[in-house]
Amino acid sequence: MARLDLERVSRHFFGVEALKGLTMSVLPGRVTGLIGPNGAGKTTVVNLITGLLKLTEGRIRLEGEDISELPPHAVARLGVARTFQNIRLLHEASVVENIVAGFHTSDHTSLPAQALGLASVRRVRAGLVQRARELLAEFAMEEYAECLAGELSYGHQRRVEIMRALALAPSVLLLDEPAAGMSDGEADELGAIFRRLADRGLALLVIEHNMRLVMSLCDEMYVLDSGELICSGAPERVRSDPRVIEAYLGGEAC
Amino acid sequence: MTGSLAAYQSLLDLVLLNCGLALSQFVVLRAGVFSVATAGLASIGAYAAGIATLRWGAGAAVGLLAATAAGMLTALLLSLPLARLRGVYQAIATVAMVQIVLSLALYATDVTGGANGLNGVPKLVGTPELAILVLAMVYVLHSLGRSRIGYAFDAIRQDETVAVTLGVSVAGYQALAFGLSGAIAGLTGGLMAYHNRSVVPEEFGFGMLVTVLAYVVLGGRRSVLGPLVGALILSLLPELARPLADNRLIVHGAVLMLVITYLPHGIVDSLQIAIRRRATAASRAQIVGKEAPDGPA
Repeated sequence: MARLDLERVSRHFFGVEALKGLTMSVLPGRVTGLIGPNGAGKTTVVNLITGLLKLTEGRIRLEGEDISELPPHAVARLGVARTFQNIRLLHEASVVENIVAGFHTSDHTSLPAQALGLASVRRVRAGLVQRARELLAEFAMEEYAECLAGELSYGHQRRVEIMRALALAPSVLLLDEPAAGMSDGEADELGAIFRRLADRGLALLVIEHNMRLVMSLCDEMYVLDSGELICSGAPERVRSDPRVIEAYLGGEAC
Repeated sequence: MTGSLAAYQSLLDLVLLNCGLALSQFVVLRAGVFSVATAGLASIGAYAAGIATLRWGAGAAVGLLAATAAGMLTALLLSLPLARLRGVYQAIATVAMVQIVLSLALYATDVTGGANGLNGVPKLVGTPELAILVLAMVYVLHSLGRSRIGYAFDAIRQDETVAVTLGVSVAGYQALAFGLSGAIAGLTGGLMAYHNRSVVPEEFGFGMLVTVLAYVVLGGRRSVLGPLVGALILSLLPELARPLADNRLIVHGAVLMLVITYLPHGIVDSLQIAIRRRATAASRAQIVGKEAPDGPA
């Protein structure tokens, strides 16, 4: 299990400072929350960590190793998985196929074996389908295995995306608004799942607008406003910080 | 009697060669690369095989190997600049590539024979060789399609961003798809040279580009059956519509328009999607059946 450290990370978009010198750590076995008003730069943080965006300044380290220059597929291979704010499933594929896509890096069959269609290739594939079904069972969704991903309800689609991320066997999991559009009951179920994952030693970073969920779930929180870190610490401390109240209430009042 | 049999055989040969071209176009489209370079790559393969035999007396095996290698290497080289482009820009760049290859074939007279092309190539392949090699291509693509590589292609085509965050190297897999496409096109080009006993430069121009693309649009791009069905239909259609004489092209165009309008995924993919919808509807009915006794929560 690995820790993720951001050191004075900045990102400019054509002169606009989307993120200004953010320093934060995501630790194994803990749920770290990242909150802030819309446009604060939260998703930018996830895109920078996963390599989809390049840093303007700063360093990102995974277990001490600098990953800021790596292409996104290399970051994923090191065990950094993510979900997307606007759910992105493979819509032509079934639920089980979506999860199997997440096992891409655990399939080591050689090119000649694949070209010749050897039995070993089919065995490896069958094994991955089996592991995908085990994940589905763990999330109480076995009966949806053969459904097309796009046909599922919103809450179920979010879960499939989380399962696909878990198929990567990540040590760091980045969740971009996982409870968006969910009822309180569904959000609580999801919170219980995240807690269980953290207890297994995963480092979780959760971006979320559902304050009830974040406050009850997170061990540590970071608050962004206009690309700047305005507060960090335990949920109780963050909740009573005047700058956080200002950022949220001020934003809403305008 | 023998005359009509020979006619059927040459039609079969034509279908087989067109299947080879369709497979080359299919591989790139499956991996989400909008390349239409197949015609240019096949041209390079045809010249490689023809020149190997006419100049250096190479046999069929060596000539076809040279054709395959020439197609693949050109494609791999082309994949480097192409990796920086997406979608319609890849299409434009590869159209340009086809035109450049055609111009080179026409003007590098010393090597290619210019507008006369290559003539007097010995007939080194017949129907059995064509059938065996096309079947081998189908087998390899089918196997790859059901392995990690095929699923990586599918993921890239559907959502490139998702694919990279799952550890799929998009540049690597698209180069692989392009190399495969080039190898298949090159081999098919070589087969055309040895089968037709000549290489005609204009044959590998814009017309072929559009026809080959139409095979995959008509058939489908997800399973290897798609391009085969597309090539079969569009190769036989002109023969079936022969009584219509000058109106054959109208039938050709009408069929394409109907398919694009009503079966936008192509014939094979649309059928597979329909079958799948029915299957998932059945499994959904089961889920509803299971949930129903509990009533609404």
